[in-house]
Amino acid sequence: MRRVRVPVVLALAAAAVIYAQVVSSYWLHIAIVSMIYGILAASWALLAGYAGQFSFGHMAFASLGGYTSALLVQWTHLPIPLGMASGTVVCAVLGSLIGWVCLRMRGPYLAIFTLAFAEIVRIILLTEYAVTNGPAGLRVPHLLGTPAKLPYYYIALGLLAVCLVTMSALAHSRWGFFFRAIREDEEAAAASGVHVVRAKMYAFAAASSFAGLAGAFYAHYIGILTPELGSPDQMGLVVAMAILGGIESLPAAVGGAAGVETLQEALRSAGAWRFVLFGVLLLVTMRFFRNGLLQPAWQRLMHAGASEGKVT
Amino acid sequence: MDYALVQAANGLVLGIIFAVIAVGLTLVFAVLKIVNFAHGELYMMGGYFAYYAIELLGLSPFPALAAAIAASFLLAALLERTLLTPLYSETTERKAEYGILITFGLSVALRNLALIVFGPFPLRPPSFVAGVQQWGPLILTNDRLVAGGVGLLVLMAVVYIMSRTAAGHALDAVSQSRESAAIVGIDPRLAYTLGFGLGGALAGAAGALMGPIFSLSPSMGILPDTQAFVIVILGGMGSVPGSIVAGILIGLLESLFTAFFPDPTRALSYSNAFGVLILMVILILRPTGLLGRRHMQME
Amino acid sequence: MTDSPVPDETLIRADAVHKRFGGITAVDGVVFAARRGELVGLIGPNGSGKTTLVNLLTGHLAPDSGEIFLGGHQVTHLPAYRRARYGVGRTFQMSQLFRRMTVLENMLVPGLTFPHLSREVIAARARAHLRFLGLNHLETLPARSLSGGQQKLLELGRALMLDPTLLLLDEPFAGVHPTLRDGIIERILQLHASGRTFLIVDHDIEAIQQLATRLVVMARGRVIADGSPADVRGNRAVLAAYAGT
Repeated sequence: MRRVRVPVVLALAAAAVIYAQVVSSYWLHIAIVSMIYGILAASWALLAGYAGQFSFGHMAFASLGGYTSALLVQWTHLPIPLGMASGTVVCAVLGSLIGWVCLRMRGPYLAIFTLAFAEIVRIILLTEYAVTNGPAGLRVPHLLGTPAKLPYYYIALGLLAVCLVTMSALAHSRWGFFFRAIREDEEAAAASGVHVVRAKMYAFAAASSFAGLAGAFYAHYIGILTPELGSPDQMGLVVAMAILGGIESLPAAVGGAAGVETLQEALRSAGAWRFVLFGVLLLVTMRFFRNGLLQPAWQRLMHAGASEGKVT
Repeated sequence: MDYALVQAANGLVLGIIFAVIAVGLTLVFAVLKIVNFAHGELYMMGGYFAYYAIELLGLSPFPALAAAIAASFLLAALLERTLLTPLYSETTERKAEYGILITFGLSVALRNLALIVFGPFPLRPPSFVAGVQQWGPLILTNDRLVAGGVGLLVLMAVVYIMSRTAAGHALDAVSQSRESAAIVGIDPRLAYTLGFGLGGALAGAAGALMGPIFSLSPSMGILPDTQAFVIVILGGMGSVPGSIVAGILIGLLESLFTAFFPDPTRALSYSNAFGVLILMVILILRPTGLLGRRHMQME
Repeated sequence: MTDSPVPDETLIRADAVHKRFGGITAVDGVVFAARRGELVGLIGPNGSGKTTLVNLLTGHLAPDSGEIFLGGHQVTHLPAYRRARYGVGRTFQMSQLFRRMTVLENMLVPGLTFPHLSREVIAARARAHLRFLGLNHLETLPARSLSGGQQKLLELGRALMLDPTLLLLDEPFAGVHPTLRDGIIERILQLHASGRTFLIVDHDIEAIQQLATRLVVMARGRVIADGSPADVRGNRAVLAAYAGT
């Protein structure tokens, strides 16, 4: 197994702590949002880059995770962390269901199906305003009783770390191998004894539960939730993050999320033009740098050189 | 019952427009073997092209429609030349994935570009022909009649082009086999540009026709795009006649769904979801689409 | 073959299987059986249904009617991955490797489907097979960078990781350089000698008859001849099928 080098991890952790001490609460907020998108981009990379399932329904799961948690907390006065956990579980179950339904769909059919699923979710959330408050947005209780950003920052950092470790453990497990085999050739994977049905359900369940967790945390951090979280534009943003970073490496996808989010803020003066810039950047990356901009750099950092997932 | 009649007539018009959009999508699929996730945005661009041809160039609505069709063709052809050429290269791996992501990225980029250039507020181009027509209980605006009538003409033109002209035969040949088409002297590259351009022109025509009815906004392409997927999958990927039939059917069904849905405040939103639900059910039952022609595998 | 413990034991059997694609009947009531230890050549002109039959036997396709038995057990509705676990290994007509995974990783995928084996054991077994196939020096290369013949060998190796009792090879010599071809033949014979059963699809009657102990000929979805290579060579129906279509 590829081991992330200890010094690199320590350096990143130190950088994260130092960052928290020196920046304003505004840039702490940017970092928190970046980390949430980091989880979303990395989990989409797991599903698309590793397992080859190009789903456009990922943000619908983030949205579902958020609404599930918010509504459960509102109705049953469940403690917020339990609400978030329930949102995660609901997404895992629905995700595996979608994975099962999509079994025989390939390439564009899967993309169309998941896009349709996301649209249905968005339409229902918009229309049932008696429950969701529709486009005006649902008010969500904050996770913490304090307006301070620093506690949220460390929670986000912890969540990101836990999610990344879990995802890369999965990516380097047997099932991670099977995901990549299925991405390359489903028939050959089945001929090799891989339970394709189960692997796809696992991939969707895992990716969707991370999306649900990220969505739930986002809702309880920001304090308001609109159906726009599951819109095609938000999906496009996450796809752009993952692709700019590199969809076949989880840390690179997180880097892509941080890069895009930071640039978005830095280019605030450019107004709405920055969204066009990201769109164009995405197109240029797809057109000329298919492996992403960060993935090669990350691989060099980890040196590795040899194959990923090498068995020792 | 009168309401249902009006809804059926509206649904017929809507169905014809859906068919125009879907035929563009299916043509692109047949020739280039990709699903264009930016098709709805070309529809949106067509609407704005017509609007600005009227507002800035001072054209009257019908010439503006022609200008919008031409501009959409050129835009689509330009996008094809700059972004889609890797699809034809032997060295490009994972072409299906490339086609999905590049067109999805394009849709996001175009939508946000439109947001800046055209602004977020709905714009309504002037009517083609002002006024309404009434036959007994049936009332239709002239704009809907124009949209339906011109839409039908456009569909007939496509069928004519595909079956009677050299360009249409070339497109059909390339859609069946790139290699054999090249052997008989058809330049596949030209066919790709033509196919994608024609697809864009059809989307643009639909957008320009719908402008005076639904007004224009940058996100107006999202729903027709999903509707077009429904239709194309219902009618068979790559089949022009299938898309025409399925388009009209979906338009009618959705309008009647709206008419008969018990809760009128929700009816309109759920009529969109209705088509999407049909799509999901079809894909669950037939994961490669209904009546799909020869090319199941995209690569 | 003759020295196997139960000489007549049938390993795999297709009983009157039919498979249609749209209007075309690809496999039309085929009855076929292979005994343990046989090396059967399955030949026939292009489009005669050979690959479809292989897909039916491996579970990559389900028959419209008819039944398939593996070692006496009914497996008609058993999915491909389960049949693989029961020892049915296969290769594909056009090599279907995990192209962006390394040579070693390609070998590990089937190995890892055995949950009780540790990675060390699987890797050691994979390396042993790679040495047997002469691919051990390539283990860190991505599979897509191999030559056509090396890809065929790697596919064979991947199938061997299942420790198969039955190997179905779909055109193992297609597009293979003649020098590598002899290497593949030699390895097939060695594996056969170690007790594995083979079904080898080829459309070239000349090559396969040197290898096979029995030839089955298909044309238009049906079996038109079945017997020793010498018998089949002289069969008029076979000559007609090859000349006529």
